[in-house]
Amino acid sequence: MTSSSEAVAPPAVELQGITKRFPGVVANSDINLVVRRGEVHAIVGENGAGKSTLMKTLYGMHRPDEGSVHVAGTEQHFKSPADAIAAGIGMVHQHFMLADNLTVLENIVLGSEPKSRGALDFGAARRKILEISAAYGLDLEPDTLVEDLGVGDRQRVEIAKVLYRGATTLILDEPTAVLVPQEVDELFGNLAELKGEGLTVIFISHKLDEVRKVADTITVIRRGTTVGTADPKTVTARQLAEMMVGTELPTPETRESTVTEDVVLGVEDLSVLLPTGRTVVDGVSFRVHRGEVVGIAGVEGNGQSELVEAIMGLQPLAGGRLTFGAEDMTSWTTRERRDGGVGFIPEDRHRQALLLDAALWENRILGNQTRPPARKGIFIDRGASRNSCKKIMKEYDVRAPGCDTLAVALSGGNQQKLIVGREMSGEPKLLIAAHPTRGVDVGAQAVIWELLKTARHDGLAIILISADLDELIGLSDTLYVMFRGKLVAQLDPGDVTPEQLGTHMTGAAA
Amino acid sequence: MNVVRRVGLALLAPAIALVVAAIISAFVILAIGEDPLVALRELVNFGDNSASQMQAVAVILNRAIPLFLAGLAVSIGFRMGLFNIGVEGQYRLATIMAAWVGTAVVLPRPVQLLLIIVVAMAVGAIWAGIAGILKVTRGVSEVISTIMLNFIAIGLASYLLTGPFRGTPEGSLTVATEDLPESGRLPGLNGVMASLGLAEPRSELYGFLIPAIVVGVLVAILVKRTRFGFDLKASGLNPTAATASGVNARAMVVKAMLLSGALAGLIGLPDLVGDTYHYGTEFTSGLGFLGIAVALLGRNNPLGIAFGALLFGFLDRAALSLQFAGIPSQVVTIIQGTIVLAVVIANEVARRIAIRQAERTGANLPTARPAAGEQQATVVQ
Repeated sequence: MTSSSEAVAPPAVELQGITKRFPGVVANSDINLVVRRGEVHAIVGENGAGKSTLMKTLYGMHRPDEGSVHVAGTEQHFKSPADAIAAGIGMVHQHFMLADNLTVLENIVLGSEPKSRGALDFGAARRKILEISAAYGLDLEPDTLVEDLGVGDRQRVEIAKVLYRGATTLILDEPTAVLVPQEVDELFGNLAELKGEGLTVIFISHKLDEVRKVADTITVIRRGTTVGTADPKTVTARQLAEMMVGTELPTPETRESTVTEDVVLGVEDLSVLLPTGRTVVDGVSFRVHRGEVVGIAGVEGNGQSELVEAIMGLQPLAGGRLTFGAEDMTSWTTRERRDGGVGFIPEDRHRQALLLDAALWENRILGNQTRPPARKGIFIDRGASRNSCKKIMKEYDVRAPGCDTLAVALSGGNQQKLIVGREMSGEPKLLIAAHPTRGVDVGAQAVIWELLKTARHDGLAIILISADLDELIGLSDTLYVMFRGKLVAQLDPGDVTPEQLGTHMTGAAA
Repeated sequence: MNVVRRVGLALLAPAIALVVAAIISAFVILAIGEDPLVALRELVNFGDNSASQMQAVAVILNRAIPLFLAGLAVSIGFRMGLFNIGVEGQYRLATIMAAWVGTAVVLPRPVQLLLIIVVAMAVGAIWAGIAGILKVTRGVSEVISTIMLNFIAIGLASYLLTGPFRGTPEGSLTVATEDLPESGRLPGLNGVMASLGLAEPRSELYGFLIPAIVVGVLVAILVKRTRFGFDLKASGLNPTAATASGVNARAMVVKAMLLSGALAGLIGLPDLVGDTYHYGTEFTSGLGFLGIAVALLGRNNPLGIAFGALLFGFLDRAALSLQFAGIPSQVVTIIQGTIVLAVVIANEVARRIAIRQAERTGANLPTARPAAGEQQATVVQ
């Protein structure tokens, strides 16, 4: 940690003894963090470890109960993000906050429009944006509409937005979550430029390989407090993960094959049209066998969601056939499919898998209304549902005060474990798992991987959709790439790298 | 959060709302130059002898029974996010059809009464079902279609009343259907009250109180204990998740509308079989709209709806005596409106506080495997 520059200039950001309490709980306790000027400083930790709380403190979204914040040597008491921005701190949120129907220029100046004698001065703004773009290699075209931009471009607009407001310290919250590997490399290039110009970057992530690649210093947060710093040049991803979790970890790898000859699901020439008439799933055919994990890779929006919904009976088919075992499933309702033994972990758990305002035991029932233990004739068996809910909470390590807790009170990882537990306890023959570990911390991710592996070993057929390429490669027995509604490649997960997979996903290899 | 505290919090919001509504109403009464204390005295003055007190109770209950049924009808739709504004038209049309069928045949009393009830429920269900079908097949908002169906239903009822179903002779002052035969009338409960040693009120306490309670219990079981009730709740809380769980959203809309309409069909029956014995121009109107207020007051919970209906009945009873005290009876309507607004606002505020609290505890529940002891302490909060 000692370097010559530290002695000369005060650190860009220094947090001392930060403690933040919410009623009944301590979200951050005694956090100490020193970010040197001109470095990329990664903050890693599981979801719920307190990274977001800490960054909200630094960005002025709430005030700490104890401790001090120093920016460039001066103590600061931020009352709002506006104060933080004035002190040169900018935040690039994980979910982009851009208006699609405005241009890059308009988006960047929105909220801090340059005025000259009361009128908007777009000329000055354009000059400034082009300057920023050139200085940091952001490659912006001020007059392009944001809706025409890809994800990586949008992120650069977000970064420019922060720079435009004069930020010298940038907080990037999980910036790579939405990017494919090639875009990640571009982002890292941009970060290097920023660093080269003397700016400071705080990089929040739980993707450990990336952190090791891009960061100059890594600080690990566990259970609300800083547990230490690591040097990315010497630390391994595994050591980092173990620092985060406090125990040793499993990996997604499953190499011994359990694939059988029995076809559980047959998808034949399946097509789905949007109401607008656009074809989103275009003649897709594949088979899933007992004990097989079929992975489907693809950049989001290439028809994976619609494919999954079509298999679940949530999307009308424009053509094609579905077989389940020996039966034709094409005309079954969603309930018939579920009753027949199809489990479903949807990609958006809040939208499709949970009743947030209902208790956990009621969420246990969802999707199992027609089967024991939830069902007793025309009635819901509340007692049995509660017991089953308790059992799931125990077996799947769902951390919540009890079965009467509202689902909204659980962290994402715990919600997801409840969903996985619920779907598995229905003893499905086929499981459709869309992003089963999205937004889930390393500990829960390991639990879910282990569950999927065990279930596969016991003969479950699984369709796995994921944006996490390591997860796809590690868990899948067969790997397809979906691009613009079609399966464009079948790859061997045994010898494909995330980079090769990424190339196929962008359509570059097709 | 334990059960006592949760129930306490659930009751706290409406209690505060009632106090706030009372204060606002007091100011309104002051503003029109009257004394709020006089109004309060008239509201709680049930008379000085047991017979007039029982009379007050009977008046309140007789008003509360149809309001309760109306609240139940509306609440079924509300539970899954459907706004059945058409309860008004559904019950008016159902009542005139039931009144007509009830005069067209003479059967043994239980059968005749059952026939009247079934006809009323069927007509209400069909009328509401039209809106349900329109919604799932053509995407017509049930708010629009039920409002429009109200006009049609009321017009149709007027036509039937003055035309084919008219039972009063030409030129008579009132226009009404023929009176129900003796076998179509449900005796009051005054006899029962006398046998319990209570003073007999001057007017009959509606015998329909018993079926209304039975319906209330059945609806409570249906929405809270059955699979249908679960599907209904799930569809209301999160339609996409309900669909993904296998609920047929379109069928659910139609079923909910049919059930809501069937319950709406019952609203006019307490008066019809217990008091007026005919449907006429004088027949109580507006119960469907009041049902919306009662359902809101009761938070779609059958027990809460019963309380809401009783509260409205209690306030309505005082309308006449307020006039005797020189206070316009519209004050009652103002108080009712104020209460509904206050309760709805209080419930929404309470809901947001509850969710924020839940999220706050939730955001800080440990997600990682806890070390023994220290983490458990935060979980048990």
